[in-house]
Amino acid sequence: MITLQNVTKTVQSGADALTILNDVTLEIPDGQFVSITGASGSGKSTLLGLIAGLDAPTSGAILIDNENITDMNEDGLATLRSEKIGFIFQSFHLIPSLTAFENVLIPMEILGLKDAKQRAKDLLEAVELTNRGHHYPTELSGGEQQRVAIARAFANQPKILLADEPTGNLDSKTGNHIFDLMTDLHDRHNVSLVLVTHDQNLADKSQRQIILKDGKVISDNYNNFGASEENLSTDEHG
Amino acid sequence: MKFIFNLTFREIRSSWRRLLFFFLCIAIGVGSVVALRSLIQNLAQAVGGDARALMTADLEIISTNDFSPTEISKIEEIINKSSIVEARNEAITASAMSRPVDKANENFSIVELKGIESPFPLVGNFTLENGKLFDFKLLENRGAVVAPILLEDLNLKVGDKIRIGEVEFEIRAAFESEPGDSGGFRLGPRVFVEKKAFDEAGLTGNRGRLTRRILYRTSENPTALVKQLRDNLQGTILRVRSYRESQERLGEQFARTENYLSLTGLLILVLGGVGVWNVARVFVEQKRKSVAVLKCLGASGTRIITVYLLQILTLGFIGSLFGVLLAQLTLWAAQSYFGAELPPEMSYAVHFSTAFQGVLLGVLISFLFSALPLLQVRNIKPNLLLRDENNKNLRRLDWTKTIFTIISVGGLLGLAVWQAGSLIVGAFFLVGLGLTSVILYFAAWILTLLLKKVKNLGSFSLSQAINSLYRPGNQTRIILLAVGLGAFVVLSVQFLQSNLVREFDFTRNQTLPSLFFIDIQKSQIGELQRIVTKATGEEAQAIPTIRARIAYINGEPINFQSPEVRQEQGRIGREFAVTYRPNLDENETVIAGNWWNEVSDVPEVSVEESMSKDLGVTIGDSITFDVSGRKITARVASIRDIDLRNTRTAFVFVFAPNVLQDAPQTFVATVIKKLPETERARLQRDVIDQFPNIQIFDVADIVAAVQKLINNFVLAISFVGGFVILSGILILIGSVALTKSQRIYENAVLKTLGAKRKTLAAILFTEYGLLGLLAGIIGTGFAVLLSFAVSKYILDIEWEFNLTITLAGILITTALVMIIGAIASFDVLFRKPLATLRSQ
Repeated sequence: MITLQNVTKTVQSGADALTILNDVTLEIPDGQFVSITGASGSGKSTLLGLIAGLDAPTSGAILIDNENITDMNEDGLATLRSEKIGFIFQSFHLIPSLTAFENVLIPMEILGLKDAKQRAKDLLEAVELTNRGHHYPTELSGGEQQRVAIARAFANQPKILLADEPTGNLDSKTGNHIFDLMTDLHDRHNVSLVLVTHDQNLADKSQRQIILKDGKVISDNYNNFGASEENLSTDEHG
Repeated sequence: MKFIFNLTFREIRSSWRRLLFFFLCIAIGVGSVVALRSLIQNLAQAVGGDARALMTADLEIISTNDFSPTEISKIEEIINKSSIVEARNEAITASAMSRPVDKANENFSIVELKGIESPFPLVGNFTLENGKLFDFKLLENRGAVVAPILLEDLNLKVGDKIRIGEVEFEIRAAFESEPGDSGGFRLGPRVFVEKKAFDEAGLTGNRGRLTRRILYRTSENPTALVKQLRDNLQGTILRVRSYRESQERLGEQFARTENYLSLTGLLILVLGGVGVWNVARVFVEQKRKSVAVLKCLGASGTRIITVYLLQILTLGFIGSLFGVLLAQLTLWAAQSYFGAELPPEMSYAVHFSTAFQGVLLGVLISFLFSALPLLQVRNIKPNLLLRDENNKNLRRLDWTKTIFTIISVGGLLGLAVWQAGSLIVGAFFLVGLGLTSVILYFAAWILTLLLKKVKNLGSFSLSQAINSLYRPGNQTRIILLAVGLGAFVVLSVQFLQSNLVREFDFTRNQTLPSLFFIDIQKSQIGELQRIVTKATGEEAQAIPTIRARIAYINGEPINFQSPEVRQEQGRIGREFAVTYRPNLDENETVIAGNWWNEVSDVPEVSVEESMSKDLGVTIGDSITFDVSGRKITARVASIRDIDLRNTRTAFVFVFAPNVLQDAPQTFVATVIKKLPETERARLQRDVIDQFPNIQIFDVADIVAAVQKLINNFVLAISFVGGFVILSGILILIGSVALTKSQRIYENAVLKTLGAKRKTLAAILFTEYGLLGLLAGIIGTGFAVLLSFAVSKYILDIEWEFNLTITLAGILITTALVMIIGAIASFDVLFRKPLATLRSQ
């Protein structure tokens, strides 16, 4: 469960303070597929980054499985990410010095998993890249790179998958393929999926749609398909 | 841990090319430390390693006079009681003129003649050119064993005869390695003859520069015996030495030289460290996103730093190993360049301990200089993957960095102290390096400030180039510091060389003789003058010289057996050539007291200024001289300054005319006229033929030998300076890499705005040209200042500004930086702007 309580994020922009997120309160239950949309600068990516502990809020609290991550230090947050969170970026962010296989391997090696290599192979197979494991990121197409990134995001068997515009840098056909892959894995592994996107078509496919504007949640609705009874019952925002 | 090792391995696999400069910085630094240390260690081993073989005995007693019967009995009193003396012999050495007996062969040479007795050598081996061991029978009945170079010089072969003094010797063999050869400065090749024949050659009469030795081989450590001999020989001028003392003294000298040279190596290594620091900064800058990704995936800052540190230490280690290889190559290069000047038995191998030390030093420097930049990894926030904020936090100073800065400086001090072998020298090195850097950095700061002022005067390219020197994260001052320092070292040596060589260029000194004739007997003066006048038209003036030693100062005896005097032996304990005359020479000035105008009843002496300081004497003090065993006490009447630049002869002690005229004396005559080489040779041959006892010094030969010495010295230092420049260049290349991404972006924008490739190339060349120009000005400027200070205050020679070196120094530095800087960034010009702008 992801919980945000009155979260505000302010950054200094020159002499002025700029509020990116303004008093956001949210709850995302386990296994839910949530999309976050909004115009550029509305605070979507910041919200995602705060959930992953990549940055700290200026005020308010963020809880992952009822544990307040706002007070954690850098190393504590790193441990949290390695154990519970997977992240997919718009520009893939693979480590250029490592092969596709090694990129997938990294999160498991950080955790010290014993069967890391076999799992990495399985994950690459799941994203249909079995034969591309020994290639470096620069030798892969955008779609292939994003598939590696997805395999990497699932490597540590996270409970929460955060995706920041995962299809933004891809053509629509590849983008759709990546989306299907992501949702398929979400369904199979029952992880919470938080997807930041500009693409309304993708947002429409999620169970729940949150729309941000100027750092505030202006809409939080369940799509009328795919949401289970259980999920609907937890909806407090209607 | 597995994660750390795996990632380290993978990172090295992919980044080694990017860290190649890092690798080279360390390799060159370690290479210079190991090469310099090995060179001096091997030299020490070759020269002083076997002090016993060098002495050819365990103990020696040296005198420049004949051993008197009293001295002999005092020596024998101790030796006869000793149970450790196994063997004894005597040797006598002097320089003399030699020439082939065959009149058709017109060659001649000055030789170092050594008269020896059997058994020889008491210690060590004496191998002949044919590989056989020396047999004393070769010397019997006027045989000689000579250095191979003499055969070459005189165009002779074994079996031919040479004349030395009054005696003809048959050359029976040439030796391969001479026992007791330290490879030091020699007037001429060595010739071994029987001691008996030496006496017969008429060279032992009334003349100086003769050294007599009694040598002993002992079965045990001779230290106690040396002490007994010294006690018993109190009051005499005999010197007693054991090989152990020579070994210790040589050992200390070499250890000191080794440590000082190692500091020079450390300087290069520290410059390499600056390169490492730069590369580590670029590395962290380039790895920002990878670090953020790793943090995003859950790796802690400490683990990531450990990965990169391990990577750098691994490369530092391999770089150091490569440095050791480089050192070995350097030693082989030294062998081919300087082999002839160095002892023949010298080894050119790098010792394991030195190599180990070099590798340790390289790894430590890698750590000390990369730790601070790597700490920046901690400040990289993973959220830069979502929003790439600028790096304002990256360089923030916090307590961890403060502690690491202190550790780095402390570590560096530790290394300097370790290398110098002394806390004070190590600390001075670091403070000196710091001060020099601050001064050069300050000069760089002022020059770049001035450059800003002229920015608007020139063309678009010039103003853009100047702008580039100020771009954020610019390395301008670091490059100026590093390259300027290299140019400074190399040019300082060049300036000093030009001044030193000029100082020894006798063609500039019209009064310096071209030939010296010494050991002329009174009866030979007339005929010699006739020969000289016939050849030169010059009337050679004969100056009387008397050999004398200082025995007492103000009635206080100089105890030649005391350790202090033994150490000062070279300066005050030696035998002096003194003279007497009524007048002051043209090149002399009395700076205290009065020159004698009339003969006084008290014997008077005039002392040269620096000698008066060494002896601590002033006007009115008394100095007692030992002249062939007779004591003569003279009052110091005046202290003179001798202008060595304008001198014919330079006597440290000059007596009033009435004091020494009856003492045993020889005469010196000089030829001022600069004769052509063939005429000079003919005149020398004529004199040798007629007076074989007279020695002739050809100043041209001495000047050539000194110039060769200076040139070798300069070559050696330039070699070191070259390493410094190379480190500077690596720093330059590293710095180019540091600002490359900015340059790529700027060029993309300029291209989009319509700048042609030609314009961008012009900006590039102007930027590095300006950088080189400033580095050249800084390096040359400070080199001029240093050479002036060293010439005036340390070497005490005339200093002259050398425009050629100054201009060449500035030009070469400019060209070097321009070419290397431009080459390192040239690919930037060919990048397509769209791709660059999209990726931003």
